[in-house]
Amino acid sequence: MAPDHIVFWVFAPISVGSAVAVLVQRNAVHSALFLIVNFFTLAVFYLVLGAPFLFAVQIIVYAGAIMVLFLFVIMLLGVDRDESLVERLRGQRPMAILLGLGLAAEVFVTVRASIGLARGPADFDQVVNEGGNAEALSRVLFRDYFLPFEVTSILLIVAAVAAMVLAQQRERARTRAEAEAFQVAGPGGGVPT
Amino acid sequence: MLRYAWIVPALPLVGAAVNLFFGKKLGRWAGVLASALMLAAFAVALAVLADLLALPAEERLHVQHLFDWFTVGNLQVAANLRVDPLSITMMLVVTGVGAVIHVYSIGYMDGDPRYGRFFSYMNLFCFFMLALVMAESFLFLYLGWEGVGLCSYLLIGFWFERPAAASAAKKAFVVTRIGDTFMLIGIVLVFLRLGSLEFSRVLVEPGSLAGPQRPSGVYTIIALLLFAGAVGKSAQIPLHTWLPDAMEGPTPVSALIHAATMVTAGVYLVARTHVLFEISGVALTVVLVVGLLTALYAATCALGQDDIKRVLAYSTISQLGYMFFALGLRAYAAAIFLLVTHAFYKALMFLSAGSVMHGLEGEIDLKKMGALRTAMPVTTAMFSIGALAIAGVPPFSGFFSKDQILEMANRAGYTLAWAVALVAAFVSALYIARLIFLAFFGQDRTERRSHESPPVMTIPLAILAVGAIFGGLLGLSATTGRLQVFLGPVLGEVEEHTRGLPAAILTILSVSVAVAAILVGWFVYGSGRIDWLALRVRLAGLHRFLAHGWYVDEVYSTGLVAPAKAGSAFLAYVVDSRWIDGAVNAVGQLFQWGASAGRRVQTGLVRNYGLAFLIGVVAVFVYVGFRL
Amino acid sequence: MRTPISYFVALSAILFAIGTVGVLVRKNALVIFMSVELQLNAVNLALVAFSRMHGNLNGQVLAFFSMVVAAAEVVVGLAIIVNVYRRLHSANVDDASLLRW
Repeated sequence: MAPDHIVFWVFAPISVGSAVAVLVQRNAVHSALFLIVNFFTLAVFYLVLGAPFLFAVQIIVYAGAIMVLFLFVIMLLGVDRDESLVERLRGQRPMAILLGLGLAAEVFVTVRASIGLARGPADFDQVVNEGGNAEALSRVLFRDYFLPFEVTSILLIVAAVAAMVLAQQRERARTRAEAEAFQVAGPGGGVPT
Repeated sequence: MLRYAWIVPALPLVGAAVNLFFGKKLGRWAGVLASALMLAAFAVALAVLADLLALPAEERLHVQHLFDWFTVGNLQVAANLRVDPLSITMMLVVTGVGAVIHVYSIGYMDGDPRYGRFFSYMNLFCFFMLALVMAESFLFLYLGWEGVGLCSYLLIGFWFERPAAASAAKKAFVVTRIGDTFMLIGIVLVFLRLGSLEFSRVLVEPGSLAGPQRPSGVYTIIALLLFAGAVGKSAQIPLHTWLPDAMEGPTPVSALIHAATMVTAGVYLVARTHVLFEISGVALTVVLVVGLLTALYAATCALGQDDIKRVLAYSTISQLGYMFFALGLRAYAAAIFLLVTHAFYKALMFLSAGSVMHGLEGEIDLKKMGALRTAMPVTTAMFSIGALAIAGVPPFSGFFSKDQILEMANRAGYTLAWAVALVAAFVSALYIARLIFLAFFGQDRTERRSHESPPVMTIPLAILAVGAIFGGLLGLSATTGRLQVFLGPVLGEVEEHTRGLPAAILTILSVSVAVAAILVGWFVYGSGRIDWLALRVRLAGLHRFLAHGWYVDEVYSTGLVAPAKAGSAFLAYVVDSRWIDGAVNAVGQLFQWGASAGRRVQTGLVRNYGLAFLIGVVAVFVYVGFRL
Repeated sequence: MRTPISYFVALSAILFAIGTVGVLVRKNALVIFMSVELQLNAVNLALVAFSRMHGNLNGQVLAFFSMVVAAAEVVVGLAIIVNVYRRLHSANVDDASLLRW
């Protein structure tokens, strides 16, 4: 048993199990936590597949930033209350599960037909990751994919600005009577404009 | 002047247009204008006659091309005028009698709110009638034919606020339409089988080199179809029912259209196309029988009418029957002669009846008249002149025209027909005697005050009376009368018949029949010795039968009109409203149903949309997968 | 490495399918969003696996960009969810069904 076999067959069930748990949990916070577990397993897979840089990025960005943001919002909105799992739309659940299975089956079949049991070059780490994965990745990134790189930086700025704009609360124009009435109840917050 | 013959129809057309647009502004001058134009047209027609007479007899034919109208395939339609003895005779009748009636109408229609419109319609009618008689092709004859039908409708229904008048106009139009449709088919057949619509090409003598060689069956069909049109327009059996009802129109209308001109269009048509009828043979017999039966039938119906105008209406139908009878005997010139004299005395009698109605403030019921000769002497005299003419008493014009026809019938060998015609003559004299004695003699049964009419109405009566008295001079003899000879080149030479009784005996017979009828009439209605009202009660069934025109109208009403109305009600309310509208609405409903079912897809739930998404994705994958 | 690449791809497919089912089945907007992240990650895994198979780093670069874009998307998406919550007072997607018939 090669080491990567063990790694795969240990972490794959964890990965699938945590993914299913994300689905099944009633509490949103629990779902988020299981998703973090899933991200960790994926990070391990990246490591095994010869992408240590992505391993690090996955943990730092996805598990460390995005999921934290998720948890912030969950707690902010207070939607961590348990959600009822009764499905009100008829046929939605069975149909979804059926189609999901179909989707997976199709991909299996297609992939099996196309790449079979190929393994990839054995000298991956020596040739492709020459000088280390980070250097090799940066070589490709800053030469061949420089423009997309700059564009994504703009994208991030735009996203930040958009978030600020979307999340702000505007003061609604009010009449004097309203202002006085709302003095008693308390300003703004939560009242839809 | 021959080249300017087109002025004759143009003048009334101008009058119609002017009165239509400016009638209100012209006020009382509308009538004067219309009458002046008619008199001018008459004068021009006289000038054309003079020019025509200047030509030798065989060359009295002038065809003038006015303008090209249209060309479709093989058919080239051009507006051509024909001036020949027959058409000039008709032109003079239309313009002459028409002018007199227009003058009469100035007084009769005075005070009517649509005075100008009336004269516009009258002028328009004269235009169409002239177009009809001056046409050189079947198509233009049909144009005039339809035009006079339209004007008849407009004029019968002139007082359209009265429902009786409106429905009488409708009835006239619909009944004549039936005949017109057959006639149109006949005209189409003329074009298809005989190759042209122009009279010069189609109406050539059979056996001549230019004549078309076709089996006579085609001619029979064409002739019968054309005759069907004549039956409608000239109110013969079975399309006669519209004429008595048409008396709802103003009296000048009855005089002009339903006595002198429009109803004679059928006679003119058969006379003009007599060549086709002669080739057929069967058609001529049909014409003869229809005319004779109509003459007798209508005369009996006239005997049972109380409305003074309806008596005259049935009388017109009967006299038209006589004309067709004459045409059927091949006595075409005699028929035209009767047409001319009839125009005089019938128009005279209608206008006199109008004078009576005017004097009695609109009374039309004979039962409520009587002894009018003291209050209305001039009218009495005029009416009586017309009555004597129609009865066939010499030396009035009616005697000559009717006697000629009877003589030709007998001497050509149609003895049975002659006998029937003689009976019809008796009844004719009887009904007119009845009318005269009931209205002008006997007891005074009037409920209103009566007075004589103004000169603007009585002078035209006098003019027509002159024609009624002296018109006979035009055609003293069947073979050598001036009119007959004049019409010879067009209508063929009149045959000299030698069978039957001698002419003198026939004349004595017809005169004695007339005199006998007048005596009977005087005895029953005028002398006071017989209570004719009681007689009517005793013969109530017979009287009702005659008064209702042998119930022909009732038969048509139940047999034809009611099923047609039921059929159209079915079509309108069931087929159209329920089925067709239903189908159309159903299509609309279908879309609505589809839309309202379809919009349920828009649930607004993202998860449903996601599911739909996924279904599509999986489908695409499957498709691509199978292709691989 | 001796594990066939197709195993990783199969795993990626399973995770993707689970993510899809999660989007369709759950009612909480945030959990749905998390399922979407799961899908994105499954794809990233496939990309890296293929990168290994082909012997170049294009797959990894693409996975890197995918992560960047996912981050931006999460930011904007959560802002939207917060906004919707402020109006509807509920994070249940079934309540946001105003665009219905």
